[in-house]
Amino acid sequence: MSRLAQQPGERIDRSQPVSFTFDGKPAAGFAGDTIVSALYAGGRRVFSRSFKYHRPRGELCGCGQCANSLFQIEGAPGIRGCSEPIREGLRVVHQNAWPSLDFDVMRATDRVGGPFTPVGFYYKTFIRPRRLWPVYEKVLRSAAGLGRLPRRQDEREWETEYRRRRCDVLVIGGGAAGLAAATRAAELGADVVLCDEDAVLGGLLGIEGGHERVRELEGRARDAGVEILSGAPALGFFDGLVPVWQGSTLHQVRADQHVVATGAIQQPLVFADNDLPGVMLSGGARRLAAAYAVKPGERAVVATVDDRGLDDALALSAVGLDVVVADLRPDAGGGELAGRIRAAGITLLTGHTVVRAQGRDRVERAVVAKVDARGRALGDGSTHDCDLIAVSGGSAGALSLLLQAGGRAIYRPEIAGFAVTELPAGLHAAGAAAGHDRAEAVEVSGAIAGAEAAAALGRSPNGVADARERLAQLPAAAPVATPPAQASDGGRRGKAFVDLDEDVTVKDIKRATLEGYDSLELSKRYTTVTMGPSQGRFSQLPAARVLAAETGLDLGTVGLTTARPPWSTVPMGVLAGRPLEAAKRSAVHRRHEELGATVRWAGDWRRAYDYGDPVGESVAVQAAAGIIDVSTLGKLLVRGPDAGELLDRLYPNRMSNLAPDRIRYGVTTSEAGRITDDGTVCRIDDETFYVTTTSAGVAGVEQSFTWWLETWGLNAHITDLTQGVAAMNLAGPQARGVLTGLTDLDCSAEAFKYLDARHAEIAGVPCMLLRIGFVGELGYEIHCPSVNAEHVWDAIVRAGSKVGLRPFGLEPQRVLRLQKLHVIVGQDTDSEMTPYGAGMDWIVKLDKQQDFIGRWALEHTAAHEPSVRLVGFTTPGGELPTEGAVVLGTDGAPEGQVTSARRSPRLGQVIGLATVPAALAGDGAQIWISDAGRRIAATVTTKPFYDPEGEVLRS
Amino acid sequence: MRELFRKRRMWRSRPDLKKRYDVVIIGGGSHGLATAYYLRQLGITDVAVLEKGYIGSGAAGRNTTILRSNYKTPEGARFYDASVKLYERLGKEMEFNLLFSQCGHLTLAHTDRALFVMANRAEVNRLQGIDSRLIGPDEVKELAPTMYVGEDTTYPIMGALYHPPGGIIRHDAVVWGLARGADAGGAEIHPYTEVTGLQRSGDRITAVQTTRGTIQAGTVLNCTAGWSSLICDMADVPLPITTHILQACVTEPVKPFLDVVIVSSQMHVYLSQSDRGEFVMGSEIEPWTTYRTSGTLNFLQDLTRHTLELFPQLEQARILRSWAGLCDLSPDYSPILGQTEVENFHVSAGWGTYGFKAAPIVGKTLAELVASGRTPDLIAPFTLERFYEDNLVSELAAAAVSH
Ligand SMILES: Cc1cc2nc3c(=O)[nH]c(=O)nc-3n(C[C@H](O)[C@H](O)[C@H](O)COP(=O)(O)OP(=O)(O)OC[C@H]3O[C@@H](n4cnc5c(N)ncnc54)[C@H](O)[C@@H]3O)c2cc1C
Repeated sequence: MSRLAQQPGERIDRSQPVSFTFDGKPAAGFAGDTIVSALYAGGRRVFSRSFKYHRPRGELCGCGQCANSLFQIEGAPGIRGCSEPIREGLRVVHQNAWPSLDFDVMRATDRVGGPFTPVGFYYKTFIRPRRLWPVYEKVLRSAAGLGRLPRRQDEREWETEYRRRRCDVLVIGGGAAGLAAATRAAELGADVVLCDEDAVLGGLLGIEGGHERVRELEGRARDAGVEILSGAPALGFFDGLVPVWQGSTLHQVRADQHVVATGAIQQPLVFADNDLPGVMLSGGARRLAAAYAVKPGERAVVATVDDRGLDDALALSAVGLDVVVADLRPDAGGGELAGRIRAAGITLLTGHTVVRAQGRDRVERAVVAKVDARGRALGDGSTHDCDLIAVSGGSAGALSLLLQAGGRAIYRPEIAGFAVTELPAGLHAAGAAAGHDRAEAVEVSGAIAGAEAAAALGRSPNGVADARERLAQLPAAAPVATPPAQASDGGRRGKAFVDLDEDVTVKDIKRATLEGYDSLELSKRYTTVTMGPSQGRFSQLPAARVLAAETGLDLGTVGLTTARPPWSTVPMGVLAGRPLEAAKRSAVHRRHEELGATVRWAGDWRRAYDYGDPVGESVAVQAAAGIIDVSTLGKLLVRGPDAGELLDRLYPNRMSNLAPDRIRYGVTTSEAGRITDDGTVCRIDDETFYVTTTSAGVAGVEQSFTWWLETWGLNAHITDLTQGVAAMNLAGPQARGVLTGLTDLDCSAEAFKYLDARHAEIAGVPCMLLRIGFVGELGYEIHCPSVNAEHVWDAIVRAGSKVGLRPFGLEPQRVLRLQKLHVIVGQDTDSEMTPYGAGMDWIVKLDKQQDFIGRWALEHTAAHEPSVRLVGFTTPGGELPTEGAVVLGTDGAPEGQVTSARRSPRLGQVIGLATVPAALAGDGAQIWISDAGRRIAATVTTKPFYDPEGEVLRS
Repeated sequence: MRELFRKRRMWRSRPDLKKRYDVVIIGGGSHGLATAYYLRQLGITDVAVLEKGYIGSGAAGRNTTILRSNYKTPEGARFYDASVKLYERLGKEMEFNLLFSQCGHLTLAHTDRALFVMANRAEVNRLQGIDSRLIGPDEVKELAPTMYVGEDTTYPIMGALYHPPGGIIRHDAVVWGLARGADAGGAEIHPYTEVTGLQRSGDRITAVQTTRGTIQAGTVLNCTAGWSSLICDMADVPLPITTHILQACVTEPVKPFLDVVIVSSQMHVYLSQSDRGEFVMGSEIEPWTTYRTSGTLNFLQDLTRHTLELFPQLEQARILRSWAGLCDLSPDYSPILGQTEVENFHVSAGWGTYGFKAAPIVGKTLAELVASGRTPDLIAPFTLERFYEDNLVSELAAAAVSH
């Protein structure tokens, strides 16, 4: 393993060797190494195979932004090898190559397929015969994709967390600008959080020899109390909420002010075979040396259009590479750097650039030539032996977050790229993201942004004007040459890539343009340029240049594609946080479990479906008594001088004339007159009503009641008591006897009538008792504080055990209520059912004075025969239809459906509810049910099967 | 094979608008372009498609491309089935591979209530001759072997509605193929041409104002989906439509892992794996109304959490991109299609989260309407009038999450 001598500011700890494996073979590095830096030090140059052509690819950016070194680690695909640290025992494998990274049979698609797979290939082929497409598709599918996911995994293994953080200022980017901004704002008293995607702060400054300065800036930031999150990319800007991913934590940061100091991304150059391993961004090559003491090559050709490339060339030369520089600018920028290059004895070819890379599976030579404005070589140029082509194609500001936050991108020719204007209030840009590229200007711009953020928070920074003045005085950055869309020696061989992730070439974009895909958005969709894992960081600008050259439009008009979150790709496990689903359980749930109940979901609730013997349970209720936990019912207290008026406007029936201690059934409807919920309304006193809703409906009912209350401005308020109050229904011929033994209340039929409500103590607990009967028997719904619910339940079960009382679950309840044709909203009604269709004509009081929700629609409905009606039915042949089976109309077409069906143990027949065409809704009508191919005859009935006159209920 | 290498423009760029067209179609999404395409088959070629952005820049280019016909109402099932059948032939007819993958569509049931709704859908579908049936957990496991089908989870899979002909298609290819076909027949496609006003005089639209001048039209078709109520406002035709956003996202591509479309209404998620290897995922429509297509963090959080309940191994799959598109929601989750009170002004609206699958049949029926002046039977249940007559076609149970 070869390493350079100790580099100032290097990130590796040479005293801590780390061993890991790559494709099963041992590999080694030091603590602080990334996968790529360690493998590179070990001599590896090929890190991946490309998406489409399986061409070998080397490292590109060196900092976790490119898709050239994506690896698989255990079950995790897409690991960024150039930023992922190595750990002892890590098992790293390559992606998308078979049988091995160095020999990949799919490479054939490049060698022979290249010319045969033009852009848009799939759209134009495999069209017929159509039945063969699934076969082709299978082949295509298995060729696609990069990494692999485990086929089986029973549960999540990765524990992740959300953390919420509120602060004054969030600074995104921890380079010189970000650190200066954070420090300044914090020193002015602001609560500041700073995040950076790199594990080490300092950004470019740290790599470009400024590590001492970075240490100072970081120290000051910490002293000022800045909370620093490193190895933590900000993922997006969601109306001011910024998720920041750090390891297993997703910080959700909400700040008043945002400083975006995300730097700039060095851009590649486009020439023939610009993807050969060994073609690297000059900043990436420099980073390998500076941060990891890895020598990126022996002989380098540096091709640049800006000063950054020159600076990188000097650095590469300083670590012992033999360097030749080709600077596209006729005067190499004309600044001090060109002088230093010459002084260092480095060959500097001005007006030149690389037009072709040569070599078998890795760079062996670079062809360098003087080019015209369109990038075409003037003359033959010269060939240079080298193992590294380090390119600097200018910088593209990392603008995504600024754009997501509402900034607008405009093209600025002097930087050969886009900048952001029209930043919304509270958003500040600093450093290279704001177009500054000299170290001093970067830092000053950061301090200004920090001060401005603090000022916006009401602090009074001084010296801001001076700093602005100073910034304006600083020498302007050296001019950048606009790289041609493609530099070319005119030869036809080789591919010039615009997008390495997606294997999109210049030719592809040109061809697409000719075919009519002549805007960046269309081109992106057709060629897939910018759609790969590096999200267009290195391909957006080059693609726009090709498009501009082809269409004759200027770059500003071609523009950028829409910036979309996330800015860094992020594992789903991080976004998901803890695997947590809220389940509601009633206050007596423990009892159900002790009794061995079959517990199932009912909306958000866990409920007892039965206690193992649904038939026996239902028989017990009718023969003696039963008790069912109905705590899931929604319970609202509506109170105030206008409470009655409010309910009159919310329900189609009348509620304000209800006497205290009396109960009325009601349904609510939508404005279209469709049933939305049902329940009972009980008047407690003049100004107080106790309203129950269905278990699933309470949230919606509460929301709608509150909304209307606000809209109408009535004097009342609504309190949701659902969780605080438990409820159980004691029913059956023996119910009165059981209750009498537990209370002083006079429970006689005369004193406590059907639809009466009473307050009384049951087993010493203050309760509210509603005499209603969903299951059709004499019954009491007992509401008590949740804390006492187990006590009340126990007392009733104990008292009832003498007379044969049994707890019963939802299933027997369903059978019992079906015998009474009692409707379950949401089961027997769907989103289109009106009270008329449900056979509840009596519940709509169109003679009511008030306008009420749904009145207009219900008046209309009342005048028309509903298309279907809800009725009861029996099947004379005894077949039990599936719930959901179709009811046929007279012409045999599907018209209605079976909404409930059960075999009633008591009646000894199959009974049900169904929506049927109005013409067939009369007693005794014959209907046909179509059930998964079966035809079942059924007879309609509109009267309850059990106790049709309600004598039992009232007894 | 030679065709493959011919560089032929898909559609011509048209420098100027003419003064008048027989038919002006507002909206260059899948419906507008399909209408132009089918008009050509009926011999109507003096047609302009006006699109304010690039073609397919609206929901057509943002949707998650689920095609299916297992709807709940007979009217809906019949209509969508006709569309899927057209899609099956469309690629061949247009000589453009739409990458239509009829890989099968599974709607999961996690409660007996859901099973009940699905049983009804399966039966309605069966009676219409649509391949759709209820299956149990074991068969679900066979179709989606990588999914966790155990009982010990928050949302156990109790069964599923299986619809073998359902699947996914390449949305852009549909847009481009239709555009090419329409263009070849003479229709003019005008991108970057926004309609800014409609002049109405009595029962007729007399002129269409655009950012590139005012033009006359024999018939005007509003195919603007998410923007449809704005265009109708210009004609003084109120639509019972609210516009919301629907969000979606994709992961980085991985090797083949999932061969069917999975939908869980209760968990508000659906996903498929594209031919490129990306997981394409989405959720339900956002409840608030807006024309702003920026996404939310909540969407990503809820969607990932729920998806991981079904596929825990996706915890390491990386989200690459997310986006949002507009959806025009009608009160009964069925479209509003055909004539309005204005004689020469027809609409295609109310597509909510499910309109892409309807593009061919919308194009075909609207073209017939324009050509004959009569509403085709297939779309008669979907007229705007139904909201005045209260003849709703409720697809709430079948369309809310499963687009
Ligand atoms: C995220 C998402 C996922 C979806 N998933 C599915 C799915 O899986 N299956 C499915 O079937 N459906 C799905 N849909 C719904 C489907 O995409 C839409 O219903 C359908 O595309 C609408 O028809 P369209 O293609 O014609 O609309 P669009 O593509 O929106 O076309 C309307 C066009 O009108 C243009 N326009 C608007 N105003 C003007 C004006 N004033 N002048 C000129 N032009 C104008 C717009 O720019 C737009 O291009 C989804 C939608 C979204 C947003």
